Amino acid sequence: MCQLEASLESLHARVAHLKGSLQSFILKLENEHDRLTWPSVLDNFALLSGQLNTINKVLKNEKTPSYRSQVIIPLLLSPDRDEELVKLTEQRVPVFSHEIVPDHLRTKPDPEVEEQEKHLSAEAARIGPEVAQKQIQTLNKLCSNLLEKLNNPRDDRDSESSASRQNKPSFNPADTNALVAAVGFGKGLSKCRPPGSVPPGHPGQPTMSTGPTLQQVTIAGTTGHQAGMGGQVAQQQPGQPGKMPSSIKTNIKSASMHPYNR
Amino acid sequence: LSIDTICKVLSSNFTVLLIFFGTGSVLDQSLESLLHRLRGLCDNMEPESFADHELVYLLKGQQGNPFMLRGRRSLLHPTAPWHLRYLGQPEVGDKSRHALVRNCVDVAASHSLPEFLNEMGFRMDHEFVAKGQVFRKGAMKVVVSKLLRVLATGNTENTEPLSLSYIVELSVLAPAGQDFVSEDMRSFAEQLKPLVHLEKIDPKRLM
Repeated sequence: MCQLEASLESLHARVAHLKGSLQSFILKLENEHDRLTWPSVLDNFALLSGQLNTINKVLKNEKTPSYRSQVIIPLLLSPDRDEELVKLTEQRVPVFSHEIVPDHLRTKPDPEVEEQEKHLSAEAARIGPEVAQKQIQTLNKLCSNLLEKLNNPRDDRDSESSASRQNKPSFNPADTNALVAAVGFGKGLSKCRPPGSVPPGHPGQPTMSTGPTLQQVTIAGTTGHQAGMGGQVAQQQPGQPGKMPSSIKTNIKSASMHPYNR
Repeated sequence: LSIDTICKVLSSNFTVLLIFFGTGSVLDQSLESLLHRLRGLCDNMEPESFADHELVYLLKGQQGNPFMLRGRRSLLHPTAPWHLRYLGQPEVGDKSRHALVRNCVDVAASHSLPEFLNEMGFRMDHEFVAKGQVFRKGAMKVVVSKLLRVLATGNTENTEPLSLSYIVELSVLAPAGQDFVSEDMRSFAEQLKPLVHLEKIDPKRLM
């Protein structure tokens, strides 16, 4: 007897949890549906599924007495409003009368559900135990394959997508280095003296450096010679998959014409 | 370089800040995908386009490395002030730090900057044009730009691309001493893979 009560208690508690999470999910869907993200919806579904699982476990528990063997008999029906009942059922059942009893105390499933169940059990009986066993095995194998594929994504994804990815690299490391060098210290950019920036014979320059060599660079159109000066290498990358838009090579003539030679 | 940066520069005077860099590149044909991704990842603002002409000035001393200053002017806003920047050497510190840290001083300058620098003894070493877009995410700035070579000195109409890629730079301006920002940059860089591989590249190593 107390086993029945205990199991009913725990079942009641689990169902209450389920009800609570269903309520909050519905509220969320109604009020925040534009802000909801798919992962959080999935979380809600996962929660519900977990709770259903727990209920199933409680029902399957060996300590749970078989509810089928229990019978509920209404002892007193009255058309009057019962405040206690109202409180217990959260305003849903105000009167314990002849109308609500057949619905709430029903033990038979819905007619459609009954039909389906009959259909399914007939089907199961028809195919015989060996076929049934084989079907069970196939299902198990499919499930385990799928689980494996899902649990080891790297192997599968790599093999099939590495081929396609190789055709379309989105960056070229050589380019990266070239660009960084260009921004960093002007590699590949013509070294120059801006025209007219040298005021002729200006006296009294405070910070004059002595003896630096200015290099003048002229740009030849198509072919030229590689610069012999150290550190001034033309930006040629024949190994690149794309082609450089021009084959500019720099001719470097060194000129030691510092205007402020003193 | 945008009006935004210029205003920041104007208002900050001689603030010394550290910049963290992650650099990569993206081929021209993959640019659109990168821009889409950046539009999704970054702050929801219209990305700013820029077209800047940068002139790099060197002051060669008797010994040591020449002193480098960068002058930048916007080709889209010709009347805006010039932007003068000093970038220090990358800090040799923690090798495990995933970003490059350099001292940075940004100042606004008038249009007479080139003449002024020449008077001071600087000589323009090289120049280029950079055209692209700036994205922001919080304090981080992602600049995707096409570097163009100036064919005739000073003539920014006549340019050609330096390569078939756009350069992608991820940076943060942070006050000296703040170091934790590089974690954010690292996770952001992860999100740009495999389109772009952002990494810490020291230009000195490519010399």
